[in-house]
Amino acid sequence: MILLLIALLQVKAPDAAQFVGAPHGVALQGAALERRTMEVASLLRCPVCQGMSVADSPSTVALDMKAQVRELLARGYTEEQILSYFERSYGEFVLLKPKFRGVNALVWVLPLLALLIGVVLVSMKLRKLELVDGD
Amino acid sequence: MPFAIGTWLACAAFFSFLIAGPANPFLTIANPPPDGPGPNPLLQNHLLMIIHPPMLYLGYVGMTIPFGFACAALLRGRLGHSFLRPLRASLLLPWIFLTVAIMLGGWWAYEVLGWGGYWAWDPVENASLLPWLTATAALHSAIVLERRGVLKGWTVTLVQATFLLTILGTFMTRSGVFNSVHSFTQSSIGPTILAFLAAALLFSVVLLALRIDSLESDGRIESAASREGMFLVNNLLFLILTFTVLIGTVFPLVAEAINGKQMSVGRPYFDAMVVPIGTALLFLIGVGPALPWGRGTREEILRATLPPLATGVVVAAIGYAVGVRNGWTIVTLLFGGYAAHVTLKEMWLPVARSGTSALRRGRRRFGSYVVHAGAVVVLIAIAVSSTTRTSREVRFSRGDSASIGAYTVTFLGAEDRAEPHRQSTIARFAVTKNGRAVTTLAPRMNQYATMREPIGTPDVHSTLAGDLYLSILNVDVAQQRVALHLIVTPMVMWIWIAALVMGLGGLLALIPVRRTSVILTQSAAKGKDLEMADSFGMTS
Amino acid sequence: MNRPVLFIGTAIAAALIAVLFVGLGNDPQQIRSPMIGRPAPAFALKEVGTGQTLDLQALRDTPTIINFWATWCMPCYQEHPVLIDNARLFGSKVQFVGVVFNDDEASIQKFLRERGSAFPTLLDQQGKTAIAYGVGGVPETFFLDRQGIIVAKFSGPMTTDVLQANLEKAIR
Repeated sequence: MILLLIALLQVKAPDAAQFVGAPHGVALQGAALERRTMEVASLLRCPVCQGMSVADSPSTVALDMKAQVRELLARGYTEEQILSYFERSYGEFVLLKPKFRGVNALVWVLPLLALLIGVVLVSMKLRKLELVDGD
Repeated sequence: MPFAIGTWLACAAFFSFLIAGPANPFLTIANPPPDGPGPNPLLQNHLLMIIHPPMLYLGYVGMTIPFGFACAALLRGRLGHSFLRPLRASLLLPWIFLTVAIMLGGWWAYEVLGWGGYWAWDPVENASLLPWLTATAALHSAIVLERRGVLKGWTVTLVQATFLLTILGTFMTRSGVFNSVHSFTQSSIGPTILAFLAAALLFSVVLLALRIDSLESDGRIESAASREGMFLVNNLLFLILTFTVLIGTVFPLVAEAINGKQMSVGRPYFDAMVVPIGTALLFLIGVGPALPWGRGTREEILRATLPPLATGVVVAAIGYAVGVRNGWTIVTLLFGGYAAHVTLKEMWLPVARSGTSALRRGRRRFGSYVVHAGAVVVLIAIAVSSTTRTSREVRFSRGDSASIGAYTVTFLGAEDRAEPHRQSTIARFAVTKNGRAVTTLAPRMNQYATMREPIGTPDVHSTLAGDLYLSILNVDVAQQRVALHLIVTPMVMWIWIAALVMGLGGLLALIPVRRTSVILTQSAAKGKDLEMADSFGMTS
Repeated sequence: MNRPVLFIGTAIAAALIAVLFVGLGNDPQQIRSPMIGRPAPAFALKEVGTGQTLDLQALRDTPTIINFWATWCMPCYQEHPVLIDNARLFGSKVQFVGVVFNDDEASIQKFLRERGSAFPTLLDQQGKTAIAYGVGGVPETFFLDRQGIIVAKFSGPMTTDVLQANLEKAIR
């Protein structure tokens, strides 16, 4: 049975192209590639660590993920494409910076809303305290 | 006072119950875990691990005392000087512990975790920061309360929030609900602590609602463009910061409760949100103390606030000249220089006016400015160290060299060492700086019998200008090969030093000034309050 | 009684407690995979020992178990006999495939010589296959039905009970 299944074929690992299409960006190399690799890897969560990013973690899976990021950037994939490639297999969990989308938009909006309300409240309080003065 | 003691005893009773019942440490475990003996490997490696937890514990538990005073003030419906002084002192002491503990935690992470950073916005790191933020806000609003007799209800709210956040932090650490670097403290007491948190929240809210109106102000503020106006802005910013960190930390739970999807809120989020607020607070450290109390003329205000700008520009220009390019870091340097100028001037003025005796009499004020000076340096050091660090990953065979910044690192060889609890592989590197031998660093890779992945221990060469940090990614003793992460981070040491300075400043402000030399403000003269407090030995 | 303080305070407190209470029911260590219900990413990888290539496409029409593991992973030692026993038990009805993650061929062959083998073991270079499947730590096991759809995933070492319970979903 097993022998039947094994054919002499080209080794082919799953590739990002199957899932996110052709690269949309410019192929990077040299120092720019290294810098972008660290930048993009710092947006990905290492799945076996505790909240550490792929850029920071020395664990084996994080090193592989970082190598994958480097390869994809070198082939011209954009940050967005790379992030959605990882999101596809690991879920939203892998994105350290939540996308402004659906429920997750709240995490960006709520602090700003709080700031707005706070500014209004503080200026009202200040006016009230100044008014007590009688002028 | 009986109300305060009652509150403390209620808290003590709960935690005694916890130890006696749900979290009884003397029970035998039905299925002893394979890693039973000794703490988690990450906790075995460093001296700081002995100091950091008790300090944090003192900070956390200590916040129960001001909470007791705040509740007592509400129950009595009065917040006079007799309560304000012990409230302030009992808030400041745990604040000092918490300040130092947070710094020690960051230092430990830096020395042990191997990624070259000190703060990852981990849920439990955030849990330690949250009460620190509200306590700092409360220390500031208490000053306005003391000076102007306003913000009574507000100050009490902040003190209550601080205590509640320590309980929330305890829940975060011990419940196992959060994915955290502190997961090694999980246990099954989550529901019990949550019930206590709910009860304490309910108690605080109802008490506030019932009594806050009886506390309301007998004072006033003359102008928004005054020091007291800036204190209000300060409080707003600290509160927004607290809210942002809290939302970011618990949001994965919120999202999962709503749409059932697991998501993460990590460093990129917190950096984006917190950096602008932190920078604005740095601006206030400068502008606040420069503004006069009460109503100043336009000219007075300009005269006080404009000259330090020159210092700020100079500091920012120096930063630019040595290669700082990040926009936020430049702004931090500008505001930092400004704040440093104002702080030093405020520290120096009383001395210039009446000699060193001013330091003894104005110790509390002087201490506060020492804290500010420390905070300015911490913020600058954080901005500079996180935006100007350089890192490389290099594969070495024995004898290979690699350079990073002014340093050259040469791989001398790797060896295995067996210890009873672990197998270590130690790689040795000779370090030279501008051609001169500096030191030898020996980062390790440790394999513990109980862990799935090996754990690295980095080695660091620290100087005031910056650190060289070596962390092993992969090592092969047979082939004498190693893959190494090299990081050069400027100014890291300043964070540890300046945070200690903040703690020392707090201590200076805490040590009571002898009664005869206290300049009594108007509200302090309310005799009855003073007598009562004296009879409990609460005043100095 | 200050009503705004009461209402706002109660609202904040209730929201916080509710979220934390719901959170108590979750295990943050158990990350649910978005891959469940999707076609398994295709791969053709080299088999350890024979050097031949196995293409996942060829396994269509047979329920398949893909087990990601490594020789440096302690729980994988525990799990290995469970996999071998079940592979022999199910014979040709279910295809077992091991994918070794981040390892070298020599250690794998030594491991298999010492502990036996009953199904093909494939070599994943640079963890590309593991990443496409969303593998975090090893061991992790994916259960594929006859159409090649991932119907279940298990993280950590499996017992026979766990394996057979998940397999039922794949056979159905």
